[in-house]
Amino acid sequence: MEDDIPSVDDLFAGDDFPPSEPISEETLPIIESIPQPNVDDKIESLMAVEQALPQPDILPADAEFMGEKGGVVTGRGRMEAAFGTGDGDEIATAQVAQVASDATAGTIFHQVYRPWRGKLNSRWVRNWAILRYHIYGLFSKGHKPWPVMTKLVLFGVLITSLGDLLMLTVGAATGVEAIERLAGISRGNLYGHVLSFWFRNACTYPIVTALIIGGMISEDRRNGTSALYFSRPVNRRDYAAMKFLSVAAILSVVVLFTLSAYYLGAILVGGEGWSYVMDTGLLFLGAFIAGTLLVFTYTSIGLALSSVSSGKFFPAVAFIGLILGTKMVAFLIWALFDSSAIYLISPYDNLAHVGQWMLGLNHTYEHPASWSLVMLITMNAVSLYILSARVSSLEVTRE
Amino acid sequence: MQTIIATENLTKMYGPHVALDEMSLKINSGATALLGPNGAGKSTMIKTLLGLIQLTSGEGEVLGYNIRTEGDSIRQRIGYMPEYDCLTPEMNAIHQVKYCGELTGMNTNVAMQRAHEVLEYVGLRDQRYREISSFSTGMMQATKLACAIIHDPELLICDEPTNGLDTKARGFMLDTLFQVVKQGNRSILMSSHLMDDVEKICDRIVMIHKGKLIAQGKIEDLKAIDREIEIWVWGGASRMEAALNDAGLTPRRTGRVMRVVRQDETTYDLVLELAAKSKVQIRRMEDYEPSLEDLFLVIMDRLGYGIKSSADLLQSQPPTTSVAPAPSQPGGNY
Repeated sequence: MEDDIPSVDDLFAGDDFPPSEPISEETLPIIESIPQPNVDDKIESLMAVEQALPQPDILPADAEFMGEKGGVVTGRGRMEAAFGTGDGDEIATAQVAQVASDATAGTIFHQVYRPWRGKLNSRWVRNWAILRYHIYGLFSKGHKPWPVMTKLVLFGVLITSLGDLLMLTVGAATGVEAIERLAGISRGNLYGHVLSFWFRNACTYPIVTALIIGGMISEDRRNGTSALYFSRPVNRRDYAAMKFLSVAAILSVVVLFTLSAYYLGAILVGGEGWSYVMDTGLLFLGAFIAGTLLVFTYTSIGLALSSVSSGKFFPAVAFIGLILGTKMVAFLIWALFDSSAIYLISPYDNLAHVGQWMLGLNHTYEHPASWSLVMLITMNAVSLYILSARVSSLEVTRE
Repeated sequence: MQTIIATENLTKMYGPHVALDEMSLKINSGATALLGPNGAGKSTMIKTLLGLIQLTSGEGEVLGYNIRTEGDSIRQRIGYMPEYDCLTPEMNAIHQVKYCGELTGMNTNVAMQRAHEVLEYVGLRDQRYREISSFSTGMMQATKLACAIIHDPELLICDEPTNGLDTKARGFMLDTLFQVVKQGNRSILMSSHLMDDVEKICDRIVMIHKGKLIAQGKIEDLKAIDREIEIWVWGGASRMEAALNDAGLTPRRTGRVMRVVRQDETTYDLVLELAAKSKVQIRRMEDYEPSLEDLFLVIMDRLGYGIKSSADLLQSQPPTTSVAPAPSQPGGNY
């Protein structure tokens, strides 16, 4: 059986190579019947067309095209220049993506580390960045993402706090003297703008403060963002100070800005002169200082509560509970024992008492105002101590 | 090669607990791994290097700045990538990274421009305007890295940079870190439990245990401490093991594969001789190239940790029983 299989040598041996089959007579007519083109006619017609076309530009003798002097700018030449349609032997350098050789399969970009040799600014620029981050976040994207509810409530309270200015304007516009007298600048109205319990200190200011301080520090603890601060050249004192200033600045817009707007509005709307300013200026200053104390106290207590928590619900509720709860407890005990000293446990009542003293109003408390002032200072000191201690405990590594 | 970290008898005590015990180390520029079991003092070490804690005693310098008095200057030149979440979930990646740049002292516009660059570098170019809360773990790690390198720090400290990443994301993160060293000519101090990761990026290690330095140096040099010969035997592995034991070579055996410590050039001949006497075939005999994992396990074993892999350390606690005292000399007694 094996003998029947021809070897390779057998196949290619001249004698044994099978002869090719000759073309049969039957197939020849078919080939001949195919119409053959007249090549000479075609060439002539193409030359006629070429002569009819516009002749190529002949460059001046000193001009160059494709690296040669006096070249003819033909269509093919243009194609060469544009697309490089030559046979590949011309002297040229292909522009290819040099970095592609480094890329691995699936890499869709080339990773290049770019150094940066810029200048880093001083401590105050860093602190300003923290302050701006919190404040700009209220009305601009790319900064602290405040919840929409906080922004809405803040806006609502801001408008509400401008209510006395609105009434003043309405009184002046309508000429109704009763409204002007009701809403005009007085000790009572200035005190009321900042420290009236109902409804600003019962509803709006504590709620706004609670919403702002809720996640101010506690969220840094919960999200671990404290590591971003303290692994950078931001010390804990600056961190706490900027957080404090951020909250105080926002509260100041609600309390002090609206107070100033009310006072300036009264001057402008009433067309008052310097004598009016002399008469009421000190009252306004007293109210402004009382408002500053309110902002400071609410901020320090609020941030202390925020620093002891890792969520924003507890600090907010605790703050409202502390402000309103102590007031309520003090009221109940006072009703039973008829001693106003119990109001010393209430931050709001201490503020109100000091405010009454500063504005020269009749005191609604029987104990001396100095007691309230000392208590207020103590409350702030304790709050700031807690804030400081808790900020010191914020970790860069694991909590 | 420039020395970037140098400490001398660094000691930190929390009450009676010694977190760092007279730590004297010297780290040159390049990629270095900080290794050690849980509770070894790695976090304290990192905080110390960042200039965040007051030392009980000792001195140290990072990038030429004193860790006691020049913490701000150090942190301005260091990028720190924490192990745990440190990002604001409601922010976009670009704004988060920009804010980190501002916190370091960059101007707003410069920080924004640089944030685009670094986010592209870490592979988040198309995701930079996405909210971080929608990011995967890998993307969050990449964002943290972007935050750390936005100011192009001279030293990057990474705490478990591949923690929680899948294989693909882990590979990308390691490549990215490697490029920081290779292309950016920057230094990295990396804390990790994954020896493969360490071996891929770092050429030196610093190993600490109970606040003491137990080994430091080039990985290659440390691997040479315990050179072993691996022997694959056939037909009488137990006889061979006994013979090796009798010869004082104390083999470590797994089935028919054994490893003996190479004492000198004559060890090979001795092994062959013992095999002939024991009538055992040696199918294969070669110098065993230990991995960093092996080195780590050997050291941990001698320190009294009954662990089978470095990953076990994540769940393990330091042994309560007495352990072999840590060697007093840097580089260890191995």
